[in-house]
Amino acid sequence: MAETESRGLVSAEASAAPAGPEADVRARAGRRVPWREPTLLVAVAGFLGFTYYVAHDGSLYLQGLILVAAVFAILAVSLDLVAGMVGLYSLGHAGLFALGAYGTTLLYNDRHWNLFVLLPTSMFGVGLVGLLLGTLSLRVSGLYFAITTFIFTLVITVVASDFAFTGGYGGLIGPIFPGFPGWLDWLGQSLLWCCMALLLLAVLLSLGLRRSPLYPVLLAIRDAEPFAAAAGAKTALLKIGLFGVSAALAGAAGWVFSFQGFISPGQFNWTVSVNILVMVILGGINTTIGPVLGAAFVSIFPAQVNINPFWQEVLFGGLFLGVIVVYPAGFWGLVEAAGARLFGLLPERARPQLPATAAAAAEPSAPVGVPRLVAAAREGARHPEAVPAAADGPDPASPGRLAVECRGVRFAYGPGAPAVNDVDFLVRQGSIHGLIGPNGSGKTTLVNLIAGRLKPQAGTIELDGSPVGKGGPAARARAGFTRTFQAPVLVRELSVADNVGVGLYSRIPRVVPRAPVWPVLPTARRDGRLMRERAADALRFVGADGWDRSRIANVPHGIQQLTQLAAAVVAGPRAVILDEPLAGLSPTEVEHVATILGELKSAGMSVILIEHQPRFVFALCDEVTVLDAGEVVAAGPAAEVRENARVREVYLGQ
Amino acid sequence: MLQVILSGLATGAVYGLVAMGFAVAFYVTRVINFAEGQLLMVAVMVAAAIARTGAWTGFALAGGVVAAMLAGVGTYLVAVRPVLAFSRFSFAWLVSTLGVALILQNVAAIIWGPTSRSFPTLLNGHGVHIGSATLTVQELVTIGAAVAVAVSFEVVRKRTLFGKAGMAVAYDPEMASALGANTGLMAVIAFAGAGLFAGIAGILIGPITYSNPYLGDTYGIAGFVALMIGGTEKPVGAMVGGLILGILEEASKSVINTQASDWFPFVVVVVILLLMPRGLFSIGPQLRGIGRLWRRPRAAVS
Repeated sequence: MAETESRGLVSAEASAAPAGPEADVRARAGRRVPWREPTLLVAVAGFLGFTYYVAHDGSLYLQGLILVAAVFAILAVSLDLVAGMVGLYSLGHAGLFALGAYGTTLLYNDRHWNLFVLLPTSMFGVGLVGLLLGTLSLRVSGLYFAITTFIFTLVITVVASDFAFTGGYGGLIGPIFPGFPGWLDWLGQSLLWCCMALLLLAVLLSLGLRRSPLYPVLLAIRDAEPFAAAAGAKTALLKIGLFGVSAALAGAAGWVFSFQGFISPGQFNWTVSVNILVMVILGGINTTIGPVLGAAFVSIFPAQVNINPFWQEVLFGGLFLGVIVVYPAGFWGLVEAAGARLFGLLPERARPQLPATAAAAAEPSAPVGVPRLVAAAREGARHPEAVPAAADGPDPASPGRLAVECRGVRFAYGPGAPAVNDVDFLVRQGSIHGLIGPNGSGKTTLVNLIAGRLKPQAGTIELDGSPVGKGGPAARARAGFTRTFQAPVLVRELSVADNVGVGLYSRIPRVVPRAPVWPVLPTARRDGRLMRERAADALRFVGADGWDRSRIANVPHGIQQLTQLAAAVVAGPRAVILDEPLAGLSPTEVEHVATILGELKSAGMSVILIEHQPRFVFALCDEVTVLDAGEVVAAGPAAEVRENARVREVYLGQ
Repeated sequence: MLQVILSGLATGAVYGLVAMGFAVAFYVTRVINFAEGQLLMVAVMVAAAIARTGAWTGFALAGGVVAAMLAGVGTYLVAVRPVLAFSRFSFAWLVSTLGVALILQNVAAIIWGPTSRSFPTLLNGHGVHIGSATLTVQELVTIGAAVAVAVSFEVVRKRTLFGKAGMAVAYDPEMASALGANTGLMAVIAFAGAGLFAGIAGILIGPITYSNPYLGDTYGIAGFVALMIGGTEKPVGAMVGGLILGILEEASKSVINTQASDWFPFVVVVVILLLMPRGLFSIGPQLRGIGRLWRRPRAAVS
C-alpha cells in the first residue's frame, strides 16, 4: 500500500544521492512496484482482522462509530477519485449520498424491493445522476464546478426537508439489515462487514486505477488537458465517466447508511459535502489511503474526545489548521515524511548527474533510431492484444501521397479579421514540411485546425486522403497524427517516462475497462512491460533516457521539449506536428533535434515543423509554406520559397 | 410589493456586504475564506461586549469593526498564507479557513456563552413610512451604508493606483510582483477589507439579530450564495447578488410560504448558474470581443 516510487528505491543511486527538498512525496506515481503486492496483502489481511475484531468483539458503540467512519471513508475515496485525479472538486457528494440513502429507504419502505437488488440499483441510479452532474464540468471547472455541485446538494436537502414523501425534517426510518446466515454467524455484525467490504472494494478500485496506465492520462486531463487530448484521450468522456463512477460509490455509501436506523435531511446537508472534502484534503488529496485516514479522523475524533464541547470544537479546528499548515499534503504527506525519515527512503531518485544539454545526454547510449520504433509498431500489429498496435505505421513506399491536404481553410476567433483565411496547405508523405511566418500569422491556428482542436469555418481538411470526421484531437491521434505544443504541456507531477507513456494511450487496447482491475490482470502485466519498453525506446531515441525517472517539474526546458517529442512519436504515428520544438533550445540541442527529425523522415514519418527561425527551417525542410496575416505567401520546395521575392520582403525582411 | 422590495433590500444589503467580503479576499488571493461569516460574528460579539461595559456606543461599534478586521488579517496570516506558499492552486485553504471558522465560533461561545445576548438598539426603534411600506431607520441606514460601501470600493478599485495594483495582483500575482506590486501586503489589505465589510454588516444587523456566536453560519452561507449569484469576477457584483438574494427571500416568504425562503432562492441560483456559470456579472469573452471591435479602428488611426 505504501505508494513509493519503487525503481528509485531498489537502485543503488537512490541511497547514495540525496534527493532535493523538492523531491516531492507525490512523485510516486504508484505503478509497477514488485514488492508492493505482499504489502498490499498484509494491509488487506490487517483490515479484515480489524473488521473481525470490531464486528465480533466490539461494543455496539464502537461498531456504530466504525460503521459511520467507514461510510464516510467510502465517500472520501469516491470524492478523491474525481478531486484528486481529474481536479473536479465536487461539493455534490452529500447530495449523491442522500440520493442513495433516500432512494434505498423509499424503495424498500414503499415498494418492498429486495435490499440486495437495491445496492446495484442505488449505484446505477446515483451513477446516472453523477453523469449528468459531471457534464457540468464541461461548462464550468475549478471553483465554479464546486459551487454548482454545492447547489445540487442544497436542492437535494431542500427536497428532503420540505416534501412529504421524504418525511420532512423528521426523516424516515430505514430498513433493517439482515444478519448473517447461521454458518457465518461467527463473523459478528453483518452490516459492518458489508460496509467494510464496500470500503475495501472502493479502495482497491482506486488503487487499481492509480496503478494503471490510465492514471497518468487522468492527471494529464487535470493539468495538461491538450496533451491528453493529443494523445488520443477523449477527455470530456473520461471526466464525466469518472464522475459517474465516483457518484456510484457515493450511492453505495448511501445504501449502507440507510441501515443505520433512520435518515433525516440534516445528515446530508452542504456541511457534509464540505466535510467530505475536508477529509480528502486533510488526509492527503490524490492518495486514496489518505482520505480514508482523514475520514476516520473527522468522524471518530469528535465522538472520542470527551471534553467541554466548545473546547473540543476549538481543538478540532486547531487540528485542521495545524495539520494543513504544517503538512499541506495532509496526513499521508506526514506518513510519507515519517517513513522517509525512518527508513531513509526517498520517493524520487535524485536527478541524474547529467551533462547540461540533451545532445550530450544522447552520446552515451547509441540512439535507438526510428527503425526500431517502427519495427516495434509493426510487431505490435501482428499481436493485436499487445500494446503497440499502430496498425499501419508510416509507409515509406509511397512518398508521393499527401499526408495532409487543407483546401481553402478559414478560421476566425471572433468577429474581425480571420486568423487563417483561405489557406491551402499540402504536406507530402514522408517529408519534413516547414510552416513559417511572423508572430500572429496563423501558424498555430492552422496547426490546431489540422490537429482537431479547432474546427474550420470553411474549407476541407484531408488526412491521408480521407476527410477528417467530427472527432477532435483524440480522433486525430487515433488516426496516427500526433503533435507537440509550443510551451511544453506536460504533467509536472509525473516522471518523464510516465509523460511519454501518456502518448501510448491510444495504443493500449480497452484500457478504460481494464484500468480498475489493472494490477491483477495478467495481460496488463505484459502490456505494462511493453509500454515501459516503448517509452524507454522513445526516450532513448530522443536522447533523454538518463532523465526517465525525474519529475517534469525538475527537468530543464530542453528535456521537456524532448519529452514532448518522445510522447508524440512513441506510438509510431504517421505524421507528427511539432509546434516550435526548437524554441528555447541551445545550439547543440537544436542540432540534436535536427538529427532526430531527419531520422523520423527516413523512417517514413511526415513531419510538420512550425518554426520561427528561418535558417533552421530552410536547411531542414523539404518543403516550406510561408504564412503572413493568415494567408499563404508562398509554398513549395524550400530552395524555391527561399528565393521568393515576397517571402524575402515579408518574412526575411530583405 | 414595495414592502417586499424594501425589506428585501435591507436583508440583502447585509448579505451583499458579507458577499463583498468574500469577493475582495477571493479577488486578490483566489481563496474563499470560509471564516468570513465568523468575521461578522466577531464584530457583533465584540461590539456587544464593549457596549455592555457602558462605553459610548460609537466606540463599541468601531471596536467591533476593528476586531473583525484584525480577525480577517489573522485568518490570512495563520490559515491562508502558509498554504498558498505551498501551492497556489491547491484547495488546502478550504480546510484551514474552516478550521479558523470553528475556532472563532467556539471561542466566542466559550467567552460570551452560546446563547443570544443584547446588542445596542441603535436606530432600530424608529419606524419610517415610505408609501405603503414601513421600515425601521436601521433598515434604511443599512441599505444606504451598503450602497455607499459598494460605490466607494468601486471608486478605489478603478480610480486609484492602489486599486489597479490590486487588480493586477488578482490577474497574475507573479507578473504583478515582478512589476513591483507588494502581493503579500495586497493580500493582507484584502483580508482586512474582508473583515471591514463583514464588520460593517455585523454592526448593521446586530440590533435585529442580537449577539450570538452562531450568527457566522447563517450569514456566511447567505453571503456565499449571494457571491454565487453575483459571480466572483467583480466584488460589486457580489453586492448586487446579495440584494437579489434578499428580495428573493422576502418575496418567497410573502408569496409562497415562510419555508419557501429556504429553497426558492436556490432554485433561482441554479437557473442563473446554468445560464451563466460564472454568475450574473461575468462578462463573456464574446462581449469583450465586440468591445474590441469598436475600439480597433480608432487605434488604427492613431
